[in-house]
Amino acid sequence: MSIAWIAIISTGVIGIVLGVVIGIVAKVFAVEIDERIEKVEELLPGANCGGCGYAGCADFAKAVVAEKATPGQCPVCAPVDITNIADYLGIVAEEKEKRVAVVRCSGDASHTERSLYNGIRDCRSAVLVAGGAKGCDHGCIGFGSCAEACPFGAIEIRDALAVVHPDLCVGCENCVATCPKNLIIMVPASIETHVYCNSPEKGAAKRTYCKTACIACRKCVKVSEEGQMEVDGFLVRTNYENPPPPEVVEAAACPTTALRNASLHAAGAYEGVSK
Amino acid sequence: MSDKPRKFKGGVHPNDSKALSASKPIQQAPLLESYKVIMHQNIGAPPELVVKKGDTVKKGTLLAKASGFVSVPLHAPTSGTIKSIDKCPGPTGISVPAIEIAADGEDAWESPFEPIADWMNADPAGLRQRICDAGIVGMGGAGFPTHVKLSPPEDKTIDTLILNGAECEPYLTADHRLMLEHAEEVVLGAAISARILGLKSAVIGIEENKPDAIEKLESVAGKYNITVQSLPVNYPQGAERQLIYAITGREVPIGKLPMDVGCVVQNIATVIAIAEAVVKGLPSIERVATVTGKPVVNPGNWRLRIGTPVAKVLELAGGISEQPAKLLLGGPMMGIAQSSLDVTVMKNTSGVLLIAADEVSLYTSEPCIRCGRCVDCCPMQILPATISQAVENKRFDWAEKLNVMACIECGSCSYVCPSHRPLNQHFKRAKVEIQAGLRKKS
Amino acid sequence: MLSEFLVITVGAILVNNFVLAKFLGICPFLGVSKKLDTALGMSGAVIFVMTLASLVVSLINKFLLVPMKLEFLQTLVFIVVIASLVQLVEIMLQKLSAKLYESLGIFLPLITTNCAVLGCVVLNAKAAPDSIQSTWYGATIYGFCSAIGFALALILFSSLREKLDLATVPKAFEGTAISLVTAGILAMAFMGFSGLV
Repeated sequence: MSIAWIAIISTGVIGIVLGVVIGIVAKVFAVEIDERIEKVEELLPGANCGGCGYAGCADFAKAVVAEKATPGQCPVCAPVDITNIADYLGIVAEEKEKRVAVVRCSGDASHTERSLYNGIRDCRSAVLVAGGAKGCDHGCIGFGSCAEACPFGAIEIRDALAVVHPDLCVGCENCVATCPKNLIIMVPASIETHVYCNSPEKGAAKRTYCKTACIACRKCVKVSEEGQMEVDGFLVRTNYENPPPPEVVEAAACPTTALRNASLHAAGAYEGVSK
Repeated sequence: MSDKPRKFKGGVHPNDSKALSASKPIQQAPLLESYKVIMHQNIGAPPELVVKKGDTVKKGTLLAKASGFVSVPLHAPTSGTIKSIDKCPGPTGISVPAIEIAADGEDAWESPFEPIADWMNADPAGLRQRICDAGIVGMGGAGFPTHVKLSPPEDKTIDTLILNGAECEPYLTADHRLMLEHAEEVVLGAAISARILGLKSAVIGIEENKPDAIEKLESVAGKYNITVQSLPVNYPQGAERQLIYAITGREVPIGKLPMDVGCVVQNIATVIAIAEAVVKGLPSIERVATVTGKPVVNPGNWRLRIGTPVAKVLELAGGISEQPAKLLLGGPMMGIAQSSLDVTVMKNTSGVLLIAADEVSLYTSEPCIRCGRCVDCCPMQILPATISQAVENKRFDWAEKLNVMACIECGSCSYVCPSHRPLNQHFKRAKVEIQAGLRKKS
Repeated sequence: MLSEFLVITVGAILVNNFVLAKFLGICPFLGVSKKLDTALGMSGAVIFVMTLASLVVSLINKFLLVPMKLEFLQTLVFIVVIASLVQLVEIMLQKLSAKLYESLGIFLPLITTNCAVLGCVVLNAKAAPDSIQSTWYGATIYGFCSAIGFALALILFSSLREKLDLATVPKAFEGTAISLVTAGILAMAFMGFSGLV
């Protein structure tokens, strides 16, 4: 018998023996894996942003398959993806409206500078030492802790003011908790008009340090329909249950430009227009 | 206590600049037209308002009552009417509620309580209640309610009362002047505190750069079995843990309180307030603060009413001779920079300090060069360099593992850092994040 | 005999460290060293697989390949055996300790392609016939000690990299670049052991 035959046979035998051993062990130690988890994970965006409250997309997929969570809990998924996942699992997807973040402040550095701040350039650190350089206690500090937290690059820091780009925002809510001033809220993406101010101070006090604060003049309340804009102390807010149309901004001619449409605000249309 | 004081490890020796005001006797500030009393002056729960706009008050009238155990009441600094209850800039830069009183000029007095003349035989609980009623908080800077400090839990035995006359913070001389001019009240207050704690003695720790104060107190201390201990000059000698170590040799473990090693530490100004509250029946409405700094025309020590705006304080001191670059409440090491002159004097405002433009420089934070100076000087013996790097990278778990919670925020590390790293601010941030994390867990 | 074992031990762990002197197993050395926790898990898995592979392979080599003059099949057979062993370990681990299985994740199958394991068994097969390393127990000890050396390098390096996370690194050196520089310095430090045996 030539050496070649010996080689072929012995290698073959080794292969068969090992194969059989693996086969037996695999049978004995078999673990049931739900292949649906993998499939659901594939359908998820894979950004691992944690917006759903689970540790990444894989974890969320597991929860969805185990019916501990619904696909709609993923804030990033487009509605069509959610429907796909629901169809795949044979469950009914609930309707979900896309939500975007809004930073309720319009006071950029040129409007609100009060003192020199030379500490750590991070909102959450700045708030511990006199709240940074800006004059308003309630406004955006502008060091971009929210922008840093955004995995989708949807928050821009423009002249020390955080501005959300609604088209880039997927609604993962990662930024909401980072803001030490609690300025960021999640709103339905279909609503354009927001009051970019969150200071409960009196109008005159606000005006001393910020040119773009809401002074509760109620012009916007008058031009909108009943209940669309709500007055809350010295501040007007959009009623997100019954929102005003975007045209209200034009019609109201807000004297401080605190009332803005989100997409135009993101495009920088209101810069330098305050009186 | 005659044995040699121990030197705690670490510490720094900044230029103390105390000569500016150390020889100036305490002056009584004249009555102003209005005072803005900040509501929340203590650590713990803010007091509950009991007056309303338009009310007439007398000097000493209760403005707000304590709203819990760790809370103290607030009294009117002079007679007049409540002009408004509104916001005013607070010491941390955020606006806080404050009561504005328009003075009527009469300064009519209304005592909220009777003096306890025979304190030596009085019930300790009654004395403690008096200290609470008088609204006394730690006047060294922290503002912790004094009656809480004097109420150790039953399972802890207190054997040493320490009076903190170290005044290690540069520039400040208020405690120094108080010890010279009110030595009797210091020992009286110490004796009252000792009685509340059930002790027979107390130790006063004074840095040896104040020999006149040591001499003066030694001459009167014998009356109540109080000893005076001179301490080496080393910042932060006046920090609780460092002071306890220097005097008793006991180390307060991380996460524990001085009570856990049987010690209670009181500030000099606080014990004077205790003496006045008990023996004279006066609430805490005044304090002595140092007004100093190179730009101040007449640096000195002033007896100021709570609620005096800083702008008025600077006027008292003759105004400013040059444009200052920085205004601090407190000393240069632990004081808080202010952005407004409308901020008012609080119970824990130990000084108003102006820093001239040529005394400070604008620096940028450079990378750590690992020289280890901060490690050498850290009085808590933690690793400021490594912790700050962990915080910069948002690794708060590392910072916690490296015991950032032990940091006393004395600022020694920031002071010595050749890379001008804002170490202290990093630690403040880490503490806040770690506590937030703990809250989330529970 | 005992001195020979000592030489193998010290030699495999320190002097001829697989990662830092022989440059074998660089892939997991860089890939799994970001965190000390995963490095510890990987070290454990490698120690187990390498010791077992050394034993099984040396037996196959000694009693099958050498007598039948099939030495030219060594690489092929070794890889098959290592791959099967890893597979077995993976299957058993998944059942016995799901937690460890999850924490090791992708690294477990990666051991298959860890050239340190193959290098180790090849070195055993190539050892001089009269040396202790050519016996099955000698080979097993060599495999175990080499794996300890690998674990040592991996754990040292991952500790360094955790500290490296806190350092301010110039832009051009960020990430893998500074890790490789660090690994180089670590390798240089291990050169200090040369000549020990």
